[in-house]
Amino acid sequence: MSRVPYHELKARERLAAIVDPGSFAEILPPPARVMSPYLPKLGIPVAFDDGLAIGRATIDGKPIYLAAQTGQFVGGSVGEVHSAKLVGLLKAAARDRLPCVLLIESGGVRLHEGSSGEIGIAEAIRAVFACRAAGAPVIAVIGSDIGAYGGMGILSACCDFRVMTEHGRLGISGPIVIEKWMGKAAYDSADRALVWKTSGGKTRYLLGDANALVNDDTAAVRAGIARLLGPASPVTLAAIEARQAELAARLEQFAAVTSPEAIWQARGVTDPAAATLDDAETFVASLAPAAP
Amino acid sequence: MTSSPRDTRRRNKAARLSRAAALVAGKLVPHEKTADLLRAVIEPGDILCLEGDNQKQADFLAEQLASLDSLRDLHLVMSCITLPSHLELFKKGVVRQVDFCYAGPQGNAVADLLAAGQFPIGAIHTYNELYARYYIDLTPRVALIAAAKADRAGNLFLAANTEETPAIVEPTAFYDGVVIAQVNEIVDELPRIDIPTDQVDFVIEAPYPMHLTALFTRDPAAITDVQILMAMMAIRGIYEEYEVESLNHGVGFNTSAIELLLPTYGEELGLKGKICKYWMVNPLPTMIPAIEAGWVETVFSVGGEVGMERYTAARPDIYFTGRDGSFHSNRPMGQLAGHYAIDMFIGASLQVDIHGNSSTVSKGRITGFGGAPNMGCQPTGRRHPSKAWLKAGREANPGPGSLPGRKLVVQMVETFQSGRVPTFVESLDAQDPAIKAAMQGVAPVMIYGDDVTHLVTEEGIANLGACRSPEERTAAIRAVAGYTPVGLKRSLADTAALRARGIVRLPEDLGVSPARANRSLLAAQEIKDLVRISGGLYDPPAKFVDW
Amino acid sequence: METFQHSFPSRPLAWPADRSWALAGVVGSGNLEVLIEPNPAAPDAVAYDLQTSIPGYADSWKAALADFAAHYAVGGTRITLHDQGAAPVVITMRLRQALDLLTPAQP
Repeated sequence: MSRVPYHELKARERLAAIVDPGSFAEILPPPARVMSPYLPKLGIPVAFDDGLAIGRATIDGKPIYLAAQTGQFVGGSVGEVHSAKLVGLLKAAARDRLPCVLLIESGGVRLHEGSSGEIGIAEAIRAVFACRAAGAPVIAVIGSDIGAYGGMGILSACCDFRVMTEHGRLGISGPIVIEKWMGKAAYDSADRALVWKTSGGKTRYLLGDANALVNDDTAAVRAGIARLLGPASPVTLAAIEARQAELAARLEQFAAVTSPEAIWQARGVTDPAAATLDDAETFVASLAPAAP
Repeated sequence: MTSSPRDTRRRNKAARLSRAAALVAGKLVPHEKTADLLRAVIEPGDILCLEGDNQKQADFLAEQLASLDSLRDLHLVMSCITLPSHLELFKKGVVRQVDFCYAGPQGNAVADLLAAGQFPIGAIHTYNELYARYYIDLTPRVALIAAAKADRAGNLFLAANTEETPAIVEPTAFYDGVVIAQVNEIVDELPRIDIPTDQVDFVIEAPYPMHLTALFTRDPAAITDVQILMAMMAIRGIYEEYEVESLNHGVGFNTSAIELLLPTYGEELGLKGKICKYWMVNPLPTMIPAIEAGWVETVFSVGGEVGMERYTAARPDIYFTGRDGSFHSNRPMGQLAGHYAIDMFIGASLQVDIHGNSSTVSKGRITGFGGAPNMGCQPTGRRHPSKAWLKAGREANPGPGSLPGRKLVVQMVETFQSGRVPTFVESLDAQDPAIKAAMQGVAPVMIYGDDVTHLVTEEGIANLGACRSPEERTAAIRAVAGYTPVGLKRSLADTAALRARGIVRLPEDLGVSPARANRSLLAAQEIKDLVRISGGLYDPPAKFVDW
Repeated sequence: METFQHSFPSRPLAWPADRSWALAGVVGSGNLEVLIEPNPAAPDAVAYDLQTSIPGYADSWKAALADFAAHYAVGGTRITLHDQGAAPVVITMRLRQALDLLTPAQP
């Protein structure tokens, strides 16, 4: 009963819970009032931090930069101020060659702010690659129901590593958008079991899109991050070609498959019905050795 | 009197059965012949009972009944008006009078029919009151009931949802009425016999299984911080304070929050083994963590809950189960237990007035009562003591002619409902003159202020049982009514005086820190946690599954 | 969008040495965020600054904010609220939570 579920926490609680106690020092904290200039014009209240808390901390004594999004604030969306804070943080990480951990909870670009959000995401992705070029690993943590979608789904995929919980979902288009374009028969966004079986943490781990699948508690998330705080995964031509080949093989393997359970079985899950209830640790341990 | 009182009813029943003789083989009637059967056995002027409560429905029989054009002058007796087919009977104008308890899902339609003069109410009853009248002046001539299975001899198996079936069948069968059962399937051998064939006249295998609603399943993911704050206050200010050992919980999220705080917050307060041991409540999925953590001794239920079949069967130490191993329930006996044998009833309501009366009737919506009133009242026939009963009794300052004890009757409400509708009102919508006129002057009050001992809101707890006058009670209610119009009329001086006497207690008076009122305190945050904690024995309905 | 500023008398708060602000809640549907900061210029009053997406509830707001000022020692503070349609109960709760975060020892 003592576990603290990661997905239930708010942004600053998550930050405080995964770093060394008391080590989080916030940059541009709420009293700084760096807020969206656009939202009040649309009748939407602003947040002191524009939905993103950023700062420095240590994990096991190692200094890192980190950020956490607030999914409840306009869907965790990335507006101009939000993206500027994110870009600045990533640039600091690249400059200092320190790891950068992003606790993601976002549907993507804040459409209310027009192209400034779009540009902001693009700049943030460029800053992620600047970190990787500098050898500073960027780790995306996806463990909330809102997950990482749209531009933040893309940004997450551009990071060195992804840590997920079974609550986390990772994708580009959200379930409702997929249903709208493909039809309800192809993808029923109200079928929550289907949504999680196609974009949730367990499936993303089986497909190799997540590097770690951890339990939904802050200690496990912290441990998952700590294991990845070593060297960055460099962006080289060879690495990109290898990933392309991997994706091509995956497409070929599953082109005709229509049920997520079949993908689970092909990736080493012997009993998908039972495995859906397993916690992350049990799930990972029970996979047949052939899996990713 | 046209004939001497000998066996008129018996001969009349024989005549009804003989009219149906051509339709039946033994006691079995093919479902295609249902309308013919109903035409043959129902007579104008009959008191007709249609089984249906908020979970279980004789829905096939109700639809067949509504399709008849031969009906007239019926006196309907039924605990719950819930299906469109029920309303059809009123629209056709074949109902002379209706005596019922609850119309929740059709509350708006019932109000419309009433306004149109098409809903002739005898009375809105509490459950056991109506069942009692089945033995006095409302004994059914024909009862249409629902069971899970029948054997070929006509014995019935009711499975988890016994509900009110025996309460309908017994008075009907033993007073020469006709009992017609719809069943999901007819089998060679029943798991157990709940109703013997002696009390059954006809059995029909329905073309589709009876409707069952997962009425008591509350998703922990939807519990709010405010509900957790209220739950913390209730645990400290009432459960702990009175050492409540036996209790009933309502079906709302407020009490679900309490159930999910027992293994965490309750454990931390050292209350395990001291409170919440004996329950009269349906098999609520949100009780699984407390049961698995060893808090609960027994649970008796008025009905089952979809998805809890395997879990309850695997926990016979906790739940009442049959020799076949499966869950058993009984609505009238559960209500009786909830009336006499528990320390506390705690539930919610949509409106509370300045006297502490509460109701779920609102303008344009007539809902009647659920299971609350038979439990949310003082059992003046109680004589056995318990710590909680005696303590509440002492606070009520009994006189030489009053009971030494009181049941704790707790109303737990947020000051506003959704959409900023205030819960607290000067006068209940149930006091609407048109509604009262239709009920011969009796307003449909669910729980009376005189019976309520405590009111819990997010502002604090008001101990109404310890108030010394109606004026003091109103002041205590205003003190916890928050920023509703009722609350804004409070006097700071009155509130301070009541607080000094412990009649009004705020979170800090109870040692409750609002900063801790957080979902992380719940023993389960989502349905999946309940499944895991049950060891995979709980099978939630599909709409609750997201994994 | 409606905004207003209002001060209410309140007993002085003993500001903790190790903190300069406290935040409770988030801006989201039916929710609000509350920031407490020191305002040494007015030790016997709390200065509220409110922004809400739902206009028309100023009376109920003022009653809730006045009660909080009367009930708790929050003099010498500035409290800024960003509201997206929270019920009064949530407002009171967030205020209490922010105060609890600032001064955990306060009863």
